[in-house]
Amino acid sequence: MDSTGIVIGFWVLSGLSVVSALLVLLARNLLHSLVFLVVTFLSMAGLFITLSADFIAVAQILIYAGSISVLMVFAVMLTPLASRDNGNSIYLLPGLLGGLGIAALVGFVAVDTDWDERTGEGLAATDFPGTVNAIGDLLLGRYVLAFEIASVLLLFALLGAIVLVHDRPRSGTAASEGGDD
Amino acid sequence: MSEQPMRRPATPMLQQIEDRPGVREMLLGVPVPFKVFGAVFGLVGALVMAFIGYLVVDGRLEGEWYDVRDLGLAVQSLREWLTDQGVDHRITWIITGSIGGIGIMSVLGGWLLIGSWVERRVLAKFQIRMGPNRTGPFGLLQPIADAVKLMSKEIVIPFGADRFLYYIPPVLIFVPAMLGWAPIPWAPNMNYLDIDVGVLYVIAISSIGVLAVFLAGWSSNNHYSLLGAMRTVAMMVSYEIPISLALLSVVLLTGSMNLGEIVAWQGHYHVWVIFLIPFAAFAFLFASTAEINRTPNDIGEAESEIVAGFYTEYSGMKAGLFMGVELGHAILVGAVMSTFFLGGYTFFGLEEWVPGYLILATKIGAVYFLFVWLRGTLPRFRLDQLMGFAWKFLIPLGIIQAFIVAIEASVFARSDAPALITLGAFGVVNLAITVVLVRFWADRLGYSPAQHRTVPTLVSDGTLGGLKAAQKIRAT
Amino acid sequence: MTTSAEPFVLNIGPQHPSTHGVFRLRVVMDGEIIRDLDMIVGYLHRSMEKLAEERTYTQNIPFTDRADYLAAMTGNLGLAIAVERMTGVEAPDRAEYLRVIFAELQRIASHAMANGTLISDAGAWQTPLLYMFREREKILDLFEMTCGARLTTNYMRIGGVSFEPPAEFWPALQELMDEMPERTDEYASLLLDNEIFLARTRNVGIITPEDAINGSLSGPALRGSGVPWDLRKAEPYCVYDRFDFDVPVGTVGDVYDRFMVRMEEVKQSVRIIKQAVEQIPPGPHKNDIPLALRPEPGEIYSRVESPRGEIGFYLVSDGTPAPYRFHLRSPALINLTLLRELGVGSSLPDAVVTLGSIDIVLGEIDR
Repeated sequence: MDSTGIVIGFWVLSGLSVVSALLVLLARNLLHSLVFLVVTFLSMAGLFITLSADFIAVAQILIYAGSISVLMVFAVMLTPLASRDNGNSIYLLPGLLGGLGIAALVGFVAVDTDWDERTGEGLAATDFPGTVNAIGDLLLGRYVLAFEIASVLLLFALLGAIVLVHDRPRSGTAASEGGDD
Repeated sequence: MSEQPMRRPATPMLQQIEDRPGVREMLLGVPVPFKVFGAVFGLVGALVMAFIGYLVVDGRLEGEWYDVRDLGLAVQSLREWLTDQGVDHRITWIITGSIGGIGIMSVLGGWLLIGSWVERRVLAKFQIRMGPNRTGPFGLLQPIADAVKLMSKEIVIPFGADRFLYYIPPVLIFVPAMLGWAPIPWAPNMNYLDIDVGVLYVIAISSIGVLAVFLAGWSSNNHYSLLGAMRTVAMMVSYEIPISLALLSVVLLTGSMNLGEIVAWQGHYHVWVIFLIPFAAFAFLFASTAEINRTPNDIGEAESEIVAGFYTEYSGMKAGLFMGVELGHAILVGAVMSTFFLGGYTFFGLEEWVPGYLILATKIGAVYFLFVWLRGTLPRFRLDQLMGFAWKFLIPLGIIQAFIVAIEASVFARSDAPALITLGAFGVVNLAITVVLVRFWADRLGYSPAQHRTVPTLVSDGTLGGLKAAQKIRAT
Repeated sequence: MTTSAEPFVLNIGPQHPSTHGVFRLRVVMDGEIIRDLDMIVGYLHRSMEKLAEERTYTQNIPFTDRADYLAAMTGNLGLAIAVERMTGVEAPDRAEYLRVIFAELQRIASHAMANGTLISDAGAWQTPLLYMFREREKILDLFEMTCGARLTTNYMRIGGVSFEPPAEFWPALQELMDEMPERTDEYASLLLDNEIFLARTRNVGIITPEDAINGSLSGPALRGSGVPWDLRKAEPYCVYDRFDFDVPVGTVGDVYDRFMVRMEEVKQSVRIIKQAVEQIPPGPHKNDIPLALRPEPGEIYSRVESPRGEIGFYLVSDGTPAPYRFHLRSPALINLTLLRELGVGSSLPDAVVTLGSIDIVLGEIDR
């Protein structure tokens, strides 16, 4: 964190993410707040880049900015008669409380952790390779059980989603269709 | 009235086409100064080439800054020289970084300047017409004329449009088309962003385009735009999976997510991945046409159905940006396709002699030509057919293919057999499995080519009539 | 999945790439599915039938050019035959052969246009259309040689045809007829092995024979459904009974069958033209008729087979040189009436392709 560019980048990105996160709350239009949410995701990815965490940064863009936002788009579009303004809802108070709780937790962890901070010579001495290999080693080595459990869970979620929305053919009438694709 | 004056067609188009001078006549008709200039230019070029060839043979070019085969070396030398001069390293990075950025921008910008002319001329050749040939020599200035026309047009903002969101998409959609170029290696030392997560980067960047398309369709306050946006979003989301699976196969085989290393791997074994995993190459190509909205998968802007799809309501240069980004996306996909499947800047040892970036540019041109060919040939799929093809065909087979490639990769890492034998065996096995799987899967989906293509029944005299005759014909 | 978007109204046309003119479809869409469909015509209404009542029969022939502007020859022919039947005027034998030749050339040109635009509607960015324009262009050149106009030919006359074709017409026609089989085979090889084209047209927009007859369809739309009905055979006019040709009929009644019926009809037209060129006798191309024809008071309905189907003329005479009532039975309009049944419940791309396969010409629909 000693390079000027990194410092400037950090402050710009963090400012951007905080402002756009606030705008997510304040924007009147649901689609507008979705756009600000994407800006938040992207600036988070930028923050990861300033920390040299290239894998996490790209994954952030791929999953959050690319996919989660599209999922929300679908959620907005496929909900019939959804009110498309970012109005008040009964979840305001629980949401605020939950957010405060999470903020408190993160703050506590941040303050409590003994950060092994290296600057200057110390930072240069740490040979910092790409994070992909390290993450891959950890996921398929030390944390393989958690990784596998997560993937099985996701697989079951996928199957469950298919089972939930699958339109069963009623007594074989719809089964005769198909063949043209 | 019987003695009619002979009438000739007023617009004998076909006659005009036949009467056009051939290549020989055109070459003979060039003015002498141009001939002399061309001869001198060609001679000098040949001398330069011979000199470079001499330098290469002599080994004197190896790793020097004036090595034209790899412009990255020049930038590296510049960086080292600046550091030696005591220039602050931040300024050094800014200078060298801008050189690379300007390089990429000029490739993209130059293409936008010429691309629409190329596309229209090539397409015209497919459609037995001439294409733009009035503006400048061979119509070369046509894109500029188009751009000037578009820029001078009024920008209409539709009534009820979401003004805030309406302005973002034409700009936002250019972001992936530009950023996507960063990790593409043009020569061994010539890639702008040499990152280990290059593959993920490519996928991640391309997924941003979805948002621009959706915002364009949503903010226009037009049902055509909205339909086009929803189609495109659904399609892009679906086709990201086959693309990821195809690239996963490549990554498993080559053992790296770094684009430079993937190309180097192909150069090292003198093989293109398309020969080893043909199904992945096909899936990638097909899914890319869906991602970038080109025929046969251009349902997001299907002209005959929803006018111009998500950018129906954009006018002037805003529409021009949407059209321009199509060209940009096409060559970007060409570059990614070449890098992953066609050996990138390598060409079976030719890269020792010819600059790698020229080889890559040729491959990009080839893939682009394929896109134009498809556009000039194929009708369009329907949305449900397209989604069915992704989810029922490409994704299951892609998963199986990735699984097989994973096995092969582990075999490849462990075996001591010559690469020619193992890789050759992989290629044959993958091709066989692809053929078997495709046939089996097509059968399972109830598709058989024989059920198509019937010819009408010919009815001669006697059997003419109404419903009864129709039933009689149907019975036979 | 049972989720569905809110239905919304989509106005397709009057300015739209695939409505083939100024035709408007007001559809209620549920996502990609059409739930309701209204056809709104009349944007090209030029009051032809009323105007025709103020003009003599011969002066009305140009109106038939402008009704079905892609098949002006058959429109001309329909009116000429109707008036001839009404007044008892006869055309010389050579004129009847010339009428057949030009009507069949017009059929080839019109079918080329119809099939080309159909594939363009399916999304093939105009390539097949431009290929098919090759033949159409040559045919229009032949028209221009003969009567000076390419589109609005105004060629047929009551009691003959307006001009004898020039000497250079016959070799040009022969050349075109010799290369036509090659060209149709080329189209077949380019299109019929194309899986996307088959997937887009097979089992789409199916018209059953019953529906086709109940909807009083005619032309390729009727024959595509398998009903073998062709006025050239059923009640031969001109000299069609002297030629040997077949009527192609489809089996399923889908878009593909209508496409194929048109392709096959082009081949049959080539057959007819070749026979006509061999058999054509010498003689005058036109009988002299009085400048102002005054038919006996009465009425007549006369019909011929246009590329789009049965084009009928209902003429009522009150003994004056101008018709008392002039009605044109438009095949395209009546074929179009079935679009609602075909479109509702199908997806938008299918409806567009179905509309293309019905082959409408707005000049004739709105008149």
